[in-house]
Amino acid sequence: MATAVLTTLDPRSRAASRGMSDIAIRNLFIIPTIVFLIVFNIFPLLYSLGYSFTDFRASSSAPANFVGLQNYRDLLADPFIWNNFTITAKYVIVSVVGQVVVGFGVALLLNRDIPFKGLLTTLLLLPMMLSMAVVGLFWKLLYDPSFGIINYAFGLGTFEWLSNPDMALYAVALTDIWMWSPFVMLLSLAGLSAVPKHLYEAAAIDRAGSLYTFFRITLPLVAPILMIAIIFRTMEAFKTFDLAYILTSQPTTEVISIRLYKMAFQEWQTGMSCALAYIVLIMVLAITNIYVKYLNKVKER
Amino acid sequence: MAQIDIQNVQKFFGQLQVLKNLNLTIADGEFVVMLGQSGGGKTTALRAIAGLESVTSGKILINGTEVQDRKAADRDIAFVFQSFSLYPHMNVRENISFPLRAVRMNATERDKAVNEVAEILQIAEHLNRKPSALSGGDMQRVAIARALVRRPQALLMDEPLGVLDAKLREQMRAEIKRLHIARGSTSVYVTHDQIEAMSLADRIVILHDGVLQQVGAPDEVYLHPTNLFVAKFVGSPVMNVNGARIEGNSVTLTGADASFGFPDDALARVRGTQADLALGARPEAVLLEHQPTEGYLEVETTNIEPLGSHDIVDVRLGHTVLRARTASGFVQGQGQKVWARLDPAQTHFFDTATGLNLRGAN
Repeated sequence: MATAVLTTLDPRSRAASRGMSDIAIRNLFIIPTIVFLIVFNIFPLLYSLGYSFTDFRASSSAPANFVGLQNYRDLLADPFIWNNFTITAKYVIVSVVGQVVVGFGVALLLNRDIPFKGLLTTLLLLPMMLSMAVVGLFWKLLYDPSFGIINYAFGLGTFEWLSNPDMALYAVALTDIWMWSPFVMLLSLAGLSAVPKHLYEAAAIDRAGSLYTFFRITLPLVAPILMIAIIFRTMEAFKTFDLAYILTSQPTTEVISIRLYKMAFQEWQTGMSCALAYIVLIMVLAITNIYVKYLNKVKER
Repeated sequence: MAQIDIQNVQKFFGQLQVLKNLNLTIADGEFVVMLGQSGGGKTTALRAIAGLESVTSGKILINGTEVQDRKAADRDIAFVFQSFSLYPHMNVRENISFPLRAVRMNATERDKAVNEVAEILQIAEHLNRKPSALSGGDMQRVAIARALVRRPQALLMDEPLGVLDAKLREQMRAEIKRLHIARGSTSVYVTHDQIEAMSLADRIVILHDGVLQQVGAPDEVYLHPTNLFVAKFVGSPVMNVNGARIEGNSVTLTGADASFGFPDDALARVRGTQADLALGARPEAVLLEHQPTEGYLEVETTNIEPLGSHDIVDVRLGHTVLRARTASGFVQGQGQKVWARLDPAQTHFFDTATGLNLRGAN
């Protein structure tokens, strides 16, 4: 660890003239953040861990009874919960794969000298900057079977995107892909522009074709940063709530966080939902860990 | 192996012309060094031969075939980059075999070729290491191995020793020379280091501002520079260049208060010219004596660089200074009186307006 991270305060500065030391300034900036973290993150995390072992219901005044691991046992034995997990897994795979393919593809197209590259990149990033709720609402309009522009543009008649139980999940994933591909694109673009140009020249001299160059030079060198994008998107997709909740209420789109929301705030099974939240947390941690392991292996060069 | 012809090549970057009507033939098996300052066009010329840079007009022929419109991959030429350009995610073996894998050579032949070239370059023990674990010299050996493994038509090198330290440079220089002699590959080598050029080249090509200044064997370029640029660029320490005036058989340097006597034949070709003249004499053409001698002028030493094998002594003649090369310890200190003369056989006269050498020294 660094020992001298703190640089000393300039004695002529205004802060010094008010009698503040550099330690005081450090505390001034950092302590509020830490307090915020503790109050709104750490404390609820630990408190809900406690509740997950009880039959507490926030809607009743009945005292909470300790039930041990019963909540966890019930949840993991519940086929409906497993169905929610299956839906979530399907959603994660479709949406992350889609985002990587689209995002990385667009990044490849942008990674060359083209006019208005900066403007184009910024415009392509717009979906990512919108609010989830707004995106959900206007894709609901785009998907509308009778007046939606998507059916109109592709001549699909009255194809039902959101009320068709087999299609709804993919429709949600498609919206997610539209919204978050720019994120993958942005990171890929950073990765691609970090590949030194002379390596491509060396590959050209070495008589490598463009496909060979792509798979042997470009992809391996972009892999670490692409991996980071995939980690972020997988975690987010696993926890997805707003998009699916706003777009549709099909049972086939009930991803795990919607189930969790219903359990906690419609059925008021507070203890049980805390346990489910912990199961989700552990799963996300586990998946992320696999990626991080792989990332470290890739970075070992 | 191949002969390379460059015919009337012009290259523009926007408005800027970096190669001006370049003509050059590189013979089969020859080691040619392109020498010049940075921005002189030498790297552009090399990249044009390799196909990494297009030419605006003109022809490039490899073994009589026009290649100026072909891609780099179709020219069968190897290139060693100044920055090595090793693939960081592959180990040494994979790096060297990359050009073979790219054209789907079978594994047995491939391994044989890799082992053979690794043996020659003495990197066999590093084959399973990543480039980042190697020293600069070994990285460059790997880069050269990757270039040689597929037996290319020609080997192009762009300042391959530029990033190495002085000692390693000298060692690698000798190795490149040994390799060239062993393999007999047509080689084009770009550098701004004139010592590197002198020690490696069969012929030196000097480029300045995109214009070819002189092509010749190292000693020819050193002894008979065609113009002031070549005269000043080749040789270390730099040639003494002074404005000069000729009256009869005496030559007066600008700022000097006395003049040197020159024999008739040395001035024969310069005498008729109306041009302003510059006199050029390498330090070894400035002869010093301790005693007053016939034809020598009295000068005073101002600075001494003792270099071990020889000394470089600065002497003041009026308001001008000449640098002389002497045996080590010939002059003891500053402010000494010695007597100096210019060796007519090694003295050049240049037209200051055009820079051209009016009389090649004998």
